[in-house]
Amino acid sequence: MGQLHPLTSNSALESTIDKILTNTEKNIVSNIKSALDDSQQNLDDAIPKLDSEYDKIISDAKKEADKIEKQITGSSDIEARNKQLLALEEAVDRVFSTALDQIANADRSGDYSNLIKTLIEEAIQILGTSEISISTNTKDKDIVQSALSQFSGAELSSETINCLGGIKVKSKDGAMTFDNTIDARIERLKPLIRKEIAAKFGVGN
Amino acid sequence: MTTEGGVQYSKIAEIKGPLVVVDDVENAAFDELVEIETTEGERRLGKVLEVGNGKAIVQVFEGTTGLSISGTKAKFVGKVMEMPVSKEVLGRVFDGLGKPKDGLPDPIADKFVDINGEPMNPEQREYPKDFIQTGVSVIDGLMTLVRGQKLPIFSGSGMSHNLLAAQIARQASVVGTSDDFAVVFAAIGVQYSEAEYFRRSLEESGALKRSVLFLNTADDPAIERIITPRVALTVAEYLAFDLGMHVLVVITDMTNYAEALREISAAREEVPGRKGYPGYLYTDLSTLYERAGKLNGRKGSVTQVPILSMPSDDITHPIPDLTGYITEGQIVVGRDLFRQGVYPPINILMSLSRLMKDGIGEGSTRADHSEVSNQVYDAYSRAQEVRALAGIVGKAGLTEIDLKYLEVGDTFEKEFLTQATDENRTIEETLTLMWKIVSKLPKNEITKIKDKYVEQYYKEE
Amino acid sequence: MAAQGRIVWVSGPAVKADGMSDAKMYETVTVGNSKLVGEVIRLTGDVAFIQVYESTSGLKPGEPVIGTGNPLSVLLGPGIIGQLYDGIQRPLRELSKASGSFIGRGITTTAVDMTKKYHFVPTISNGDVVHPGFVLGTVQETDLIEHSIMVPPDHPGGVISNLVSEGDYDLETVLATVEKDGQSLPLKMYHKWPVRKPRPYNKRYDPTVPLLTGQRVIDTFFPIAKGGTGSIPGAFGTGKTVTLHQIAKWADSQVVVYIGCGERGNEMTEVLVEFPHLKDPRSGKPLMDRTVLVANTSNMPVAAREASIYTGVTIAEYYRDMGKDVVLVADSTSRWAESLREMSGRLEEMPAEEGYPSYLASRLAEFYERAGRVKATGSPDRDGSVTLIGAVSPSGGDFTEPVTTHTMRFIKTFWALDAKLAYSRHYPSINWMNSYSGYLADIAKWWSENISEDWFKIRSETYGILQREDTLKEIVRLLGPEALPDEEKLILEVARMVKIALLQQNSFDDVDTYCSPEKQFKLMKLCVDFYNKGQQALKEGASLSDIRELGVVSSLLKARMDVKDDEMPKLDQLDKDMQEQFKSISGVKVSN
Repeated sequence: MGQLHPLTSNSALESTIDKILTNTEKNIVSNIKSALDDSQQNLDDAIPKLDSEYDKIISDAKKEADKIEKQITGSSDIEARNKQLLALEEAVDRVFSTALDQIANADRSGDYSNLIKTLIEEAIQILGTSEISISTNTKDKDIVQSALSQFSGAELSSETINCLGGIKVKSKDGAMTFDNTIDARIERLKPLIRKEIAAKFGVGN
Repeated sequence: MTTEGGVQYSKIAEIKGPLVVVDDVENAAFDELVEIETTEGERRLGKVLEVGNGKAIVQVFEGTTGLSISGTKAKFVGKVMEMPVSKEVLGRVFDGLGKPKDGLPDPIADKFVDINGEPMNPEQREYPKDFIQTGVSVIDGLMTLVRGQKLPIFSGSGMSHNLLAAQIARQASVVGTSDDFAVVFAAIGVQYSEAEYFRRSLEESGALKRSVLFLNTADDPAIERIITPRVALTVAEYLAFDLGMHVLVVITDMTNYAEALREISAAREEVPGRKGYPGYLYTDLSTLYERAGKLNGRKGSVTQVPILSMPSDDITHPIPDLTGYITEGQIVVGRDLFRQGVYPPINILMSLSRLMKDGIGEGSTRADHSEVSNQVYDAYSRAQEVRALAGIVGKAGLTEIDLKYLEVGDTFEKEFLTQATDENRTIEETLTLMWKIVSKLPKNEITKIKDKYVEQYYKEE
Repeated sequence: MAAQGRIVWVSGPAVKADGMSDAKMYETVTVGNSKLVGEVIRLTGDVAFIQVYESTSGLKPGEPVIGTGNPLSVLLGPGIIGQLYDGIQRPLRELSKASGSFIGRGITTTAVDMTKKYHFVPTISNGDVVHPGFVLGTVQETDLIEHSIMVPPDHPGGVISNLVSEGDYDLETVLATVEKDGQSLPLKMYHKWPVRKPRPYNKRYDPTVPLLTGQRVIDTFFPIAKGGTGSIPGAFGTGKTVTLHQIAKWADSQVVVYIGCGERGNEMTEVLVEFPHLKDPRSGKPLMDRTVLVANTSNMPVAAREASIYTGVTIAEYYRDMGKDVVLVADSTSRWAESLREMSGRLEEMPAEEGYPSYLASRLAEFYERAGRVKATGSPDRDGSVTLIGAVSPSGGDFTEPVTTHTMRFIKTFWALDAKLAYSRHYPSINWMNSYSGYLADIAKWWSENISEDWFKIRSETYGILQREDTLKEIVRLLGPEALPDEEKLILEVARMVKIALLQQNSFDDVDTYCSPEKQFKLMKLCVDFYNKGQQALKEGASLSDIRELGVVSSLLKARMDVKDDEMPKLDQLDKDMQEQFKSISGVKVSN
């Protein structure tokens, strides 16, 4: 693994995100806190409302009182919780876009050509053919071109694609495509990354 | 498996009905999740029904409308379909495939679970025997629901089954424990207004925060209906067995589910069983219904109340028929009673709860419950016979005792069966009403109740 | 040489593999990387068609298929009793140790605990010549089961040597070796037997001994003989399962094999929870000590459902060969037939009625033919029986559907469940007009020798009352009950009495759940006597309402619940009271 670019492994991706997290954490924690404050306020607001409701129906059956209590606390609970979810999602998005920016602007020298090589090898194995055509973005075009010498049967497509990095591989007959861009890899990992970010803020399970 | 998937194929051999046949497929697994991409870049989900000899038959959940042979691509994702689950799904609304429908983000998953579930090991099941009080007299008294049971409502088009299901969902409570209770509601191909009624009813009773809703309405894709109950039950199992909650799952309408299944079977040109439904309908339904239950050493439970509308009110139609063979009883909604304006219009003679015997009696409801309920059934059954007879020979041709039974039938329907949609009766109230019915009979007609209970509760008016 | 092929096609439980020219029909194979269990069910060229007994989700073309060289077999030896198996004899308790509350895949287990020691008492000696079926000795399997260790049916036999002395041994211990033609073959406590092959026996007897179930409508009205065949068809909600559970609980057999074939999970759980606490009425020991459960519930893989029936019946035959009476209950043969239909569909065979394969009838016949009362092979002489009772779940409750109609050709006792009776809470809802028993004449001798010489006569009279009522009901339906003369109204009254006091039975009532043959007879005789006395009283001028209001009526109706099996004098007293009370009303009228 030593010679590979750090972005090929999930743990490296995580550590990048970790770095970004420490920077944005403060910011986000305060966001979450204000969401929590909001919800507390909501609940506080609800209590006097609840009291007055109680007074009004004090002579009614207990069943009725219970029902209304449930209704009021129920809906304010939910509202507060949903606000929290939205705040959290906003935080997660911010972490993501920061991370993606960093990756897009990452240094293309050194290990990066090894990364491209690994991505091509993986694609050939999964597609089961080395007769492939590779597309990439304008930035990585030259790196891919120079890596091609090691893969007979592989050629660089003239079309470029819009992505953060990495490659998209097509069998020459056009029947099969394998998306091995950084974007696709992150997309596959996104649910797990979201869970980790949320865990760092002490939300979720 | 994740690393092996991800190849997109663009050679589509055939599109028929909800199926897409992909050619030259090298690396696909049975049951694998598939992402279909249309010419316009729209993404739909599907799964592999059959794979081999270079072909994969893919069932597209959102339907094949607008797909073309040349522009369609199929990506084999490398895993089966999964549902992200966490405690935060409570209070949320999802579509029929389990994607958020309430404008909120995807739930942050505690874990991802295969929506098909795995069969519970019968040896690890705990036999259901805890009474659930629904507050509906006819159910609590005569066809008692217990935690971990699957008890469907057999209804017909236009009748008040959804009203009843919503009432059960609002009122259901487990007497004598502080365990958490949750409701999972899955709408399958029902009208928007019905789904909305259910949602509002939960909201107004404050039960929404302990509920999860999955909505596939009538205008949503039909094939998606195969998935809806599965994602709902996956969430229910998580809430029950990971978080220890008692979960009531209401699914409506299973008839729409079976029709989606028939559509796929027809497209595959399979040999049909009865009425064009596939021969494996029973097995397929059982993989949903059998997901109800309790497990040894775990706190929670999954209780199912599926609702199905019987085509032409025919209980021998394959859908109710096969359902009845799997579920632990059935609650049958009767057209006659419905026409008479009775709510809930339950035909008790055709209804039954198989697990009732273990959920009632001393320690849970009351010692005389079983016997008094047998007597009420017996009496109402006699009343129905006498009514039929009276229709032919007139009241004059009836014996004195027959006339008593007529009276019992009326009391039963007017005072016991009839109940308001927001009326929540305790089990004691229900039992008192049952004795009121029995007490209309002379003592020597009471053949199903032990003398000691008759002495204790029988009250001649 | 075991076959080694590759998967080329997967669809549900059906898999095709090529490179399988060495495979044999009905050979078991392991399928895929996760080593699922499958069975070869068709061979075409080098392509084998395999039904897989576990979920095939995630299986891919290209994965390996490896033959085992053996047909699907069960392990037969001590340790089977009390187990809960899946359709291919994997103990569900062991599966749960491997995969928790839900059933995982590719788990290998042994059918019984091979390391458990049993106390073996040899009954033969070194130098004895043995043949297949000879008993080597016995072990006590449970409190109720003395388990004979037998020379396997496919063993060549020979001269016994190296026989171990009495003592505690586990299943893998060589108990003796058999010398034949210079070869030395070991004998252990267990052997394997292919499930699809009936175990051989010496000769068959006619079934003449009733299987007593303690259920009045069965024992008295539609009896089944030990070694006989019976079927219980019924729409859902007619109480099929409860009736089958009752038979499994109370039948006077030594071993019960209960197959839950494509049915509810909770039903198997119920048996598991309930049977260890229920006492066998004859021995007082827990019922679980004589019961084996085979459970392939509806949501478990469909191919294993097909196998479960054969697994169960092979276990039943094994205990029969020890000289035991075995009852096998299969709930439900319809789900088994459906699994045949599903596999047949995937094989793209030409379907017969309702999509069922054309060999449905012959498969059903083969199954029911494995019932019988037999003399086992080998020495000492042992007579045993396998009674087969199959539930049928006709779609829509329609008895003209293929599984019901074909089953009726191969069974002799037919208990027709009736939804109308069930709706009116008449349980067991066995319809007395549509049911029949082909064993009535054969087993009448037993009743007259053991219970009463009058049994056959009284039974006919009782059944006669029910038949008369059936005709009269038509008239009542048209004209009302008041149109009948009193003698005929009395028939309706007594028929109702027979239904409540005799035909109905509350399986959840501690007393009523089991009814001894003697009590059955006495209750029946009380009803007939009441009828005869009533007709006489009418002739002597008593009114129908006098008869109806006799105090004895309500005692008679509740006697099934009030009088325990060991309180027969109470029924004699009831008889006396009845005589007295009839005298009183006849007397009054005569003196007028």
